[in-house]
Amino acid sequence: MANRFTQALLIALALPAIAVPLACLLYLLMRGLPGFDSNLFSLNLGESGFGSSQGIMAQVIGSLALSILSCLLALPLAIGLSLYSRLYAGPRSNSVMQHVLTTFQSIPPLVYGLCGLVVFVHLLGWGISLAAGAIVLAMIILPVLTLNTIHALERVPSDYTDAARALGMSPSRVVWHVWRPRAWRSLLTGLFLAVARTLSETAPILFTATVFSGASWPNSLFAPVTSLQTHIFYLAQEAVDENAVARAWSSALVLVTLVAMFSLIAHLLNRRRSHHG
Amino acid sequence: MVFGCRLYRMLNRIILACILLLPFQFSLAESTISIAGSSTVLPVMSDAAQTYKNDNPSTNITVSGGGSGTGINAVINGIVDIGMTSRQPTEAEWVKLSEKFELIDIARDAVAIAVSKAVIKSGVSSLSLEQIADIYRGKIKNWKDVGGFDEEILVIDKEPSRGTRHVFAEVVLGDAKARAPGASLISGSNNEERSIITRSNQAIGMLSHAWLNDDVRGITLKLDNGDTVSASPEHVLDGSYPIQRSLSLIVAKNRSEALQSFIAFLQSPALVPSIEKNGYLPLN
Amino acid sequence: MLLRSWITFSVIFSLALVLIFVGFLVSASLPFFLDYGLSPIVSSEWYPYEDLYGFLPALVGSAWAIVIALAIALPCGLAAAIVSVEILPQRYHGLINLCIDILAGIPSVVYGLLGIALLLPWLKNNLDLLSGHSLLAAGLLLAVMILPTITRLSQDALRDVDNSYREAASSLGLDWSQRLFSVLLPQAWPGIRSASLLATGRGLGETIAVMLVVGSIDRIPEPWYNLLAPAQTITSRIGREMGEASVGSSQWSALMACGLVLTLCVMLLSILAHAPRKRLARG
Repeated sequence: MANRFTQALLIALALPAIAVPLACLLYLLMRGLPGFDSNLFSLNLGESGFGSSQGIMAQVIGSLALSILSCLLALPLAIGLSLYSRLYAGPRSNSVMQHVLTTFQSIPPLVYGLCGLVVFVHLLGWGISLAAGAIVLAMIILPVLTLNTIHALERVPSDYTDAARALGMSPSRVVWHVWRPRAWRSLLTGLFLAVARTLSETAPILFTATVFSGASWPNSLFAPVTSLQTHIFYLAQEAVDENAVARAWSSALVLVTLVAMFSLIAHLLNRRRSHHG
Repeated sequence: MVFGCRLYRMLNRIILACILLLPFQFSLAESTISIAGSSTVLPVMSDAAQTYKNDNPSTNITVSGGGSGTGINAVINGIVDIGMTSRQPTEAEWVKLSEKFELIDIARDAVAIAVSKAVIKSGVSSLSLEQIADIYRGKIKNWKDVGGFDEEILVIDKEPSRGTRHVFAEVVLGDAKARAPGASLISGSNNEERSIITRSNQAIGMLSHAWLNDDVRGITLKLDNGDTVSASPEHVLDGSYPIQRSLSLIVAKNRSEALQSFIAFLQSPALVPSIEKNGYLPLN
Repeated sequence: MLLRSWITFSVIFSLALVLIFVGFLVSASLPFFLDYGLSPIVSSEWYPYEDLYGFLPALVGSAWAIVIALAIALPCGLAAAIVSVEILPQRYHGLINLCIDILAGIPSVVYGLLGIALLLPWLKNNLDLLSGHSLLAAGLLLAVMILPTITRLSQDALRDVDNSYREAASSLGLDWSQRLFSVLLPQAWPGIRSASLLATGRGLGETIAVMLVVGSIDRIPEPWYNLLAPAQTITSRIGREMGEASVGSSQWSALMACGLVLTLCVMLLSILAHAPRKRLARG
């Protein structure tokens, strides 16, 4: 009896964890879908206005450019660092590295944004730009990506590595012929998750990379962009203009869809890997 | 494996080519003019930028908000080409602006004392400057004390460097930087403030006259001489409405050709439709 | 050779990044602490125009918001973890994980939008508030946002409990709830503890959603337990004033100092969260 009661209580307590996400998702769909008209994805970029009538294609492109660029910037560094950890680092420096990475992973993105604002926007004089935002996002994602990559390399059975070493293969041949074929799926998984993660960040790019309107196709690394995240942020503060409110919800739905898409790809890659062993 | 290697090499080459070509691609950029600052001036400049772009498609114009303080600082720091402001720069800001920048007035505007529709309906028809000051100082906390219903007042203040806040505080509280201990919320842009007032039945705030609508009404001011004035264009023009200001732009004196041509456009009569469409008063 | 230089480059570059980051954070906020000492931390007045920078209201606001969030998310997340690992059969695990993934996948700014559109009017109407902007609103949003962290890490902690403990508990004749409370939870406790510490860190650093619903006014709630009052958090302060402070001004270094304080808190939490588990594993 007591068991039943405890279980029922726990299930009742756990209900919000299931109900809240479903409710959020349903509400998003309900408010966002009516706004999906032909205008929303019109390719007529560079149209200014107040965000209420124009399409959000420029914002989608801006968001994707920021995320993908930042992940591509962080990836080579992450691979380099994880190879260092697997190939050269002793147990002590490995543990130091783990600690530093987990600590930097926990630093709020907003603080990276503050530093990026000083260094890239002001000191280096890049202004509010795609490059500044991408580097800030790259710094945010670097610890996560590195930890993921180290993890991916750790999962390559050590027998393989030992055997390859015993055959006299050089480290670079081990990396290329033994590790790469077995780790690249996990690596891609990490990369897609990183893209999804950077797509969700708003605070660090609000002051370093984005403007309210007018940015069209990003035609220079040092020009500002518009992004879905900041677009939603501006429109969220608007309650009077019906069109703007509808645009805010559609933008939110598009953003969530993009994040879900990248997470899903990561998930599928991960599943296929574990199937093939 | 062999196939994988070949694929990889090909991919490598493509990536390399992209990296090498990237600077060329980007060097084709057209001239870009960036604008940031007051959310009051923002709609005018958005409009103007669009009109200008129709005739000058090679110029890219980006417009961003943030408030007058942001605009002034951004132009000082060289982050943007044009700073929008709905107030005069402070002394400290003038020092930094020095001789290198100039202030260009483009329009006039009144700061209205905005209240929720229900407040007007409850019988509050006008307020004196003193009553408004008392509300913001926390001495009056209920609408019944100024002739309305028995509801607490939701006093909305603005971020300290906002233009509307400066102009309002200067006239009502006597000092542009005065504290407002009676405030219950701080809002940022005009959008945000108008949204909060719309959703509430008991709010008071400061808002550019052009942002008033049916739900967010401007309250009439009771002057010392007994007259009542509303924030209407004629009262702004004859100077009887006290809380008014110029909307201005701050630009470096030393400008590029593209920027100069855009500034010339902004100073020409071609700007008047954008100003009037958004509810402000042209200078002449 | 290529590999070697690439690795060396990455390591040096990353080290430089870490040093530059820490260096900037410290050097930009140093002038502030040199000018004002540590007194701003206990002072409650923040008026940049009068050169008064008191951190206390924002610190109190952040603390309250995270306490509310933990009070809700901890029981709920832990219960969700127990339900999914110990109660539901394997085939339902996917469903709970999917829900948690959805929760984790919704970006902060979308939570802000939901907060403005749903939470604020709801609080305003049901609790008879002026506008709904309040510590409670911020806390509720944060609770939803840290729930995935707590649930996932608690699930891991429960799964990591060796099956021999479960078997031993059953053979001792303990029933389900005795097994849960006297064997499984104590065993999983270090993991659950670090889950809540990490979630606390995550919540403290959350910006956009909090900024949109907290009211952004520098006031310590009166009385101190008045959670229905609008307030300020460290992140909402930085988010609101970051754009308008001119670089090099005292307001700027005050904001950097806020950032430094926030970073130190979060780093401390992260170190606390990771340290004892290691010791346990070694012992």
